[in-house]
Amino acid sequence: MLKVIELDKTYGQDKHSLKSVNFTAQPGEVTAIIGPSGAGKTTILRSVNQLIRDNGGQILLDDEDIRQANKKELRKIRHHIGMIFQNYNLISPLTALENVLHGRLGAKSTMAGMLGLYSNAEKAEALELLAEVGLKDYAYQRCDQLSGGQQQRVGIARALMQHPKMILCDEPIASLDPKSTRTVMDILRRLAKEKQLIILINLHQIDVAREYADHIVGINSGAIVFEGPSQSVDDTVLQKIYRQADSTATVTANEN
Amino acid sequence: MKTNYRSPQQFFRQRQLRLWVVLIILIAIYWLSMAIVSFQTIPSIVKVPAGLVWLFKNFVPTQRSISYLGPILYQLWRTLLVAVSSTICASFFGLIFAILGAKTTTPSPILRVVIRFGASLLRNIPVVAWSMILLFSFKQSDFTGFLALFFMTLGYLTRAFTETIEDLDGEKLQALQAVGANYFQCVFCGVLPEVASTLTSWVLYMIENNLRDATLVGILTGTGVGFLFDHYFKSFRYDAAGLIVLLIAILVILLELSSTQIRRAIA
Repeated sequence: MLKVIELDKTYGQDKHSLKSVNFTAQPGEVTAIIGPSGAGKTTILRSVNQLIRDNGGQILLDDEDIRQANKKELRKIRHHIGMIFQNYNLISPLTALENVLHGRLGAKSTMAGMLGLYSNAEKAEALELLAEVGLKDYAYQRCDQLSGGQQQRVGIARALMQHPKMILCDEPIASLDPKSTRTVMDILRRLAKEKQLIILINLHQIDVAREYADHIVGINSGAIVFEGPSQSVDDTVLQKIYRQADSTATVTANEN
Repeated sequence: MKTNYRSPQQFFRQRQLRLWVVLIILIAIYWLSMAIVSFQTIPSIVKVPAGLVWLFKNFVPTQRSISYLGPILYQLWRTLLVAVSSTICASFFGLIFAILGAKTTTPSPILRVVIRFGASLLRNIPVVAWSMILLFSFKQSDFTGFLALFFMTLGYLTRAFTETIEDLDGEKLQALQAVGANYFQCVFCGVLPEVASTLTSWVLYMIENNLRDATLVGILTGTGVGFLFDHYFKSFRYDAAGLIVLLIAILVILLELSSTQIRRAIA
C-alpha cells in the first residue's frame, strides 16, 4: 500500500506546489489523480519516486518511508517502482528488447549494466513481457520505428521488468489516439488485478479516469479536494476539482 | 499588452521594406570594404579569364607528371593516416570531455566551466598557429602535424559533442534514473546510444576536414603531401603540384561520398 502523508513542496519562496497532500493507493487498484493543468499532479507522481525532491511529509510504500532512503537505498526502492511517461522516454535508437532489459539496471552492478551484460533468463523474461503487452513480433525493432501506442507498451514492459510493486504513470495516454488509449489502459487495469500492483496514474481525461480507475484523487492548486471511489465522482465533485482559483467562472465537467 | 492594429497590406509592406533595407545595407558594406582595401571589382573580374588560362597551361598535369605519381600517392596515404588517426584520438578524448562538460551529464558545474573554456581555447587557435608553436618542441615530423590536428579537433569535437548531448531530452535520462540506474549506467545505456549516430557524423566530417588541413599543416611541418606540394611548387614543377591538388580533391570527394554512405547506413 502506498500512503502519502502531509506531503509538501514549495518552489522558490512561497509558491506552494503541494500543500499537505494526503492520499492512499491500494494494491490491485488503479488510482487516478485528476485535476486542472498546473495543479501539481506531476509533482506528486515524481515525488513518489523522488525524481523531484519535496520539502516535507511522508511517502510510505509498504510502511517504508521513501523520503528517508539514502542514495543507495533509493536506487533499490526505485528498482521496484516502474514508471511510464507521456513521451514514453525510451532510448529510441535501441530495440524494444534492449529497452525492456533496461528495467533490470537497478538490480545490476554498475559494470554489468554499463556493458549490457544480461543473463539468458533476463533476456527470456524480457521477450515474455513483450509478448504479454502484445509486441512479440517487434522485439528487434528500433523504438523510433514503433507507433506511439507500441512505444508506450514497451514502456510498460520495461516497468514490468523491474518486478514492480507499483507503476507510476505520468499522463500515459495524453499523446495517444483513442484506440491505443484503450489498449494501454486495458493493460494497466489488467496488471493491477493480476499482479496486485499499485497503479498510480495522472490523467487529463475524466471519462477515462471514471471508466478505468477504482479510486480517484482530485487535486486543485496543490491541495487534495477529493478522494474516493470512482463511482462517487459526480458533477459537483468535478466542479470542485476543476474550479478556477482566481475567477468565479466554473468550468464545465466535461472540459479538459 | 499593447497591440497595434495593422492591416495585412500594411504588415506585408513593412516586411518588404525591411527586406530592401537589409539588402541595401549589405551592398553598402561590400562597397565600403572594397573601397578601403582599394579593390576594384570590375577590373578584377575582367582579369579572371587570363588567370585561369595561365593556371591551366601550367598546372594541368602532363605526361611527365605521371612519373611523380608514386611518391605523391605514398605521401598522400601518410597524410590521410595522420588525419584519420588524429581525428580518432581527438574524438575519444572529446567524448569523455563532452560527457563531463555537458549540462545534462556533468558531475560538477565547475568542471563544466573548465572544459568549456579549455575546448574554446583549443578551438580558437588556428591549426596553422598550432603547427608553428609545436614545431619548436617536436621538430619537423609527422607527429607535430598529428598533434596540431589533434588539439584543434579536440576543441572542436568537444564543443560539438557537448551540444549534441545537451540537445538530448533530459526526460529520457530521468526515465532511466526512475528505473534505478546510476550515473554510469545512464551514460552508457542512455546517452551514448542516443547520440552515437550524430557523433559519428561529426567524426566523419572532421576526418574530411582534417585531410584538407593536414595538407596545409604538412607545408609548415615539412611532412606528407603538403611538403611535397611545397617542394614541387618552389622548384617550378607546377604540373606535379597540380597533380597533387587534383589527387587531394579526388580523395576528399571519395571520403565525402563514403561518409555519406556510412551516415545513411547508421541513421
